[in-house]
Amino acid sequence: MTLVSDTQAAVVHPKPQSARFTVSVPAVVLWTVILFLCLTPFLLVLAISFGQKIEGASWEWAFTFANYERVFVGANWPEEFTALYLQRLYYSLFYAVIAALLAILTAFPFTYLMTRLSRRAQSAWLVFILSSLSLSEVFIVMGWDVLLSNRSGLPMVFKETGLTDWLKANGYFETMREWGLANPRNVKFKTSVFATVLTMAYLVWPYAVILLYPPLSRLDRSMIEASQTMGAGPWTVMRTVILPTMRLPLLGATLLLFVFLLGVYVAVTVFAEPAKQTMAVSVYEAVRGNTLNAPFGSAQAVVLLCTAAIFLVAGQWISRKSAP
Amino acid sequence: MTKMNRRTLLKSASGIAGVAAASSVLGTPLIAQTRSLKIGSYGGYFENSFKEFVYPAFTEATGITVESVTQPNSTDWLVSMQQATAAGNVPADLSLYARDTLIKASRIGGLLAPLDPKKMPATSNLDGYFVFEDTTGAIGVGAMSWFTAMVINPDEVDAPESWAEFWDSSKFEASLGLSKNYNSHFLDIVAATFFDGEATLLEKDGVVSVIEKAAEIKPNVALWWSAESQMEQSMKNGDIIGGQYYLDVANLMALDGFAIQPVFPKEGNPQDYGSWCLSAISEKADEAAEFINFSSDPATQALMSRKIGTAPLVDKSKTDLTDDEFAFVSGTPSIKPAYEAYLDNETFIKETWEKMLAGA
Repeated sequence: MTLVSDTQAAVVHPKPQSARFTVSVPAVVLWTVILFLCLTPFLLVLAISFGQKIEGASWEWAFTFANYERVFVGANWPEEFTALYLQRLYYSLFYAVIAALLAILTAFPFTYLMTRLSRRAQSAWLVFILSSLSLSEVFIVMGWDVLLSNRSGLPMVFKETGLTDWLKANGYFETMREWGLANPRNVKFKTSVFATVLTMAYLVWPYAVILLYPPLSRLDRSMIEASQTMGAGPWTVMRTVILPTMRLPLLGATLLLFVFLLGVYVAVTVFAEPAKQTMAVSVYEAVRGNTLNAPFGSAQAVVLLCTAAIFLVAGQWISRKSAP
Repeated sequence: MTKMNRRTLLKSASGIAGVAAASSVLGTPLIAQTRSLKIGSYGGYFENSFKEFVYPAFTEATGITVESVTQPNSTDWLVSMQQATAAGNVPADLSLYARDTLIKASRIGGLLAPLDPKKMPATSNLDGYFVFEDTTGAIGVGAMSWFTAMVINPDEVDAPESWAEFWDSSKFEASLGLSKNYNSHFLDIVAATFFDGEATLLEKDGVVSVIEKAAEIKPNVALWWSAESQMEQSMKNGDIIGGQYYLDVANLMALDGFAIQPVFPKEGNPQDYGSWCLSAISEKADEAAEFINFSSDPATQALMSRKIGTAPLVDKSKTDLTDDEFAFVSGTPSIKPAYEAYLDNETFIKETWEKMLAGA
């Protein structure tokens, strides 16, 4: 901190007037470019969301709220009401919350133990985790698709080890069929909420580690040692010392992963049944699918964006309130 | 040193200019003689077969070289072409569109150029249904057709006699793969099996009853596929033991030794077809007409059936296809999709269908 402010002072101090002038022109250009790149796509989506669909053809520019109305009550309102799109929004939130929590809950102990390793081991782990980020969503989904397939994955293991027969013999198989995790022949994990959430959590797990690593490695060891000297066991240390100090980073990381997961597309199309698909899929299907309904896709995108914004603002509010 | 450098520079510069001038004089007539055409087709095995077998035969027959352009599918390609047309530079002269996309393009307007039937005498081999005309003229000529067939895993079940057997949960519980798209012909199958076919889908009430019937099959469906590869993988892996899939691909998979068998039940299978359509801003109308003329020739239709696995659009008697070769790509009866209904009540059918899938 001090280093940065010192350098800034050294640069600015000698000629304050001209420095301000030379800085402002590139700054203005930079801001214009940033605003242009950030705002134009967003404004375009917003403008298109008020457009009008022409049945059997494409769409035209207009100013109607019909697309927003359709998101909340369906296209055939008022004769008929449907919560179809709200249901999709619900599943967007549902998967994102569960997967983000799952990723953080598993990444937290891992990262904590990692920070207690030697410097060398820590950097090896970090490099490994960073490099796993180069795998795209498509690759990861393909991998899990194979791992959960009947003939090459987990169901095969169930069958070969006799677990399937054991489940059948003990009556658990019927329960799995009721849960949609089995067909008459064997267990099945595609399509299921289990597979969707698992893959989504796996997808953001490296991010969770990378987000939690800096605060955990800065954690003051002397506090832990002090509490241990005073007779606290590992769980008490975790509950009364580590978790309270880590509350804000944990909240921040969960929110970030949650917002990231709202837009997951491939994992949901592959692993979730149509009844449990999300708004991101619905947006894509409206814009690129068979109907060429970009206005309705845009309206759904705006609703999704507003939902994400509400969560971020709420998160900010909570962290500000709980800040010392 | 400086002087010499400058001299060499000038010398080489004039040399380059000279070569450029010479090539422009010599090259122009050469380029004018090489006629070319950019043709779009669905990427993957399909496009590769076109590049390997059909385009070379066309170049040999006419001297026109073909540049193959990859289309992801029909509807998404229309979005790309719409944007490209507005920008004034299209990636392909001829595109391949399914009939519903073709009608949609016609309704949007300004995307397709009318074709001159006089320049394509061989199109008389096709049934009139396959030459699509709107107010501007003939804007799409049939290229090839394909069936979406009932498929089963012959190691697990016997071939059903009717599509209705797919509704039997004692046989197919959580075991079928059907297309998730509302207009991928499952509704046409339901309408043909339990109702009056195409006519039922033209009325909104009919659509509702068809979709209600379709809802009853949900417990038997393990996979609602959106990409072809999902269905392929699931059949290969045994995640499912039946469903709807492309006839030609199913036959190819069976040839590769996978446990899959296409079936023609008594109601038949839906038949769809693709059309060659010329972009409104293409300057290759003559070359395009020659290609469509070539493609409509019974010999080319037979070539496509053999090498790509598509069904011919000309009568079997006009081609030299054997009964076995014909059975590989075609069959009877064929279910005609209700294209107009899907377009006129687009939003209604899509939302009712998706509500059914979502149970909302």
